[in-house]
Amino acid sequence: MNDDELQARLRAADPASSLPPADPDRVARLLEDVMSTELTTEKREDGTQGRGPLTWLVAAAAVVVLLVGGIIGIKAATGDNASPTSAKPEPAQTVTTLSAPDDGATHAKCMVPNAQTLAQMPTAFDGTVSVIDGDTVTLTTTKWYAGEPTDVVKVTAPGEEWERLLSAVHFEAGQRYLVSATDEGAVTVCGFSAAYSDDLSAVYAEAFPG
Amino acid sequence: MDESRRDRFEAVAPTLIEPLRRFLARRTDAATAEDVLAETLLVCWRRVADLPDEPLPWAYGVARNCLRNAERSARRQERAAARLAAEPVDTGPPEDLTLHEALAALNPDDAELLRLWAWEQLAPGEVATVLDITTNAASIRLHRAREKLREQMRKIQAASGHEVP
Repeated sequence: MNDDELQARLRAADPASSLPPADPDRVARLLEDVMSTELTTEKREDGTQGRGPLTWLVAAAAVVVLLVGGIIGIKAATGDNASPTSAKPEPAQTVTTLSAPDDGATHAKCMVPNAQTLAQMPTAFDGTVSVIDGDTVTLTTTKWYAGEPTDVVKVTAPGEEWERLLSAVHFEAGQRYLVSATDEGAVTVCGFSAAYSDDLSAVYAEAFPG
Repeated sequence: MDESRRDRFEAVAPTLIEPLRRFLARRTDAATAEDVLAETLLVCWRRVADLPDEPLPWAYGVARNCLRNAERSARRQERAAARLAAEPVDTGPPEDLTLHEALAALNPDDAELLRLWAWEQLAPGEVATVLDITTNAASIRLHRAREKLREQMRKIQAASGHEVP
């Protein structure tokens, strides 16, 4: 198959080939919205401080991103980037591997831990730090609020992220924690994952009833 | 300055909308496509002075970044799940299953190069603008991606027991 044939075959599978053209009225409205966005702001020194309707919309989206960003950690450590550790894994134990908060997450603004947000986290448990070794925190779980229960959870963080993890969640050996993580296996920060307290425990209980 | 900005945007934006709509329709669900289109146009409006003479590849690059941001946040919102449930992107099984599978088996960068080449029909120089790489790199990667796609298709056909052409 030569390049032209390959391109033709790809083009035949173009999912946008049946896309109808946009309604001209909507296009006109969209463009007007876009242009009115900044016209109201050009009096300002900083053109990014828009106050048009679309800007508010975009700003609202940004706030959602920011808030969500604020409670998000780092992507799940997959097999190939899970750091080697001397945390003595016991073969009979089931293990969940999570990772640490990234730069964006720890610098984003935080919201107060609340059940509504927490309830969206697919992983949540109560556990005690058994070992902190190298760049891995190992927790022995005592209760699972959400997610597939495992005996042990390992939170790994390479390099700089390790520092951020410790400063965000203050993991210490022997302490009990409530920890949650996103669908990407990222440990939440901003107080959503923290040392056990009655207050936080109540939030977890509310978020994950039953 | 307001008027010239406006004139420039009004001249350029309508030419971008349809290609951008198709670009987004190929890569995300309808609701996200609409949001990202508005956001992309907003960036074009803000940066109208930066618009190159050939604005489309540049605008594709903007759309690509906006889409990535939208998807990053959407993944974390139940909204995304609700949307996908309500409005499946899939409009039925693709007719060219082999191609579909082969494309899905490639790494995302290779697949994106091929989409830009075949669906947006961009030349290597334009692909380079979208991906913010050199034209030379775009040509080389595109060449490799085509090879990989052909190889994947051969594998899939072989696995399904068909004669390999």
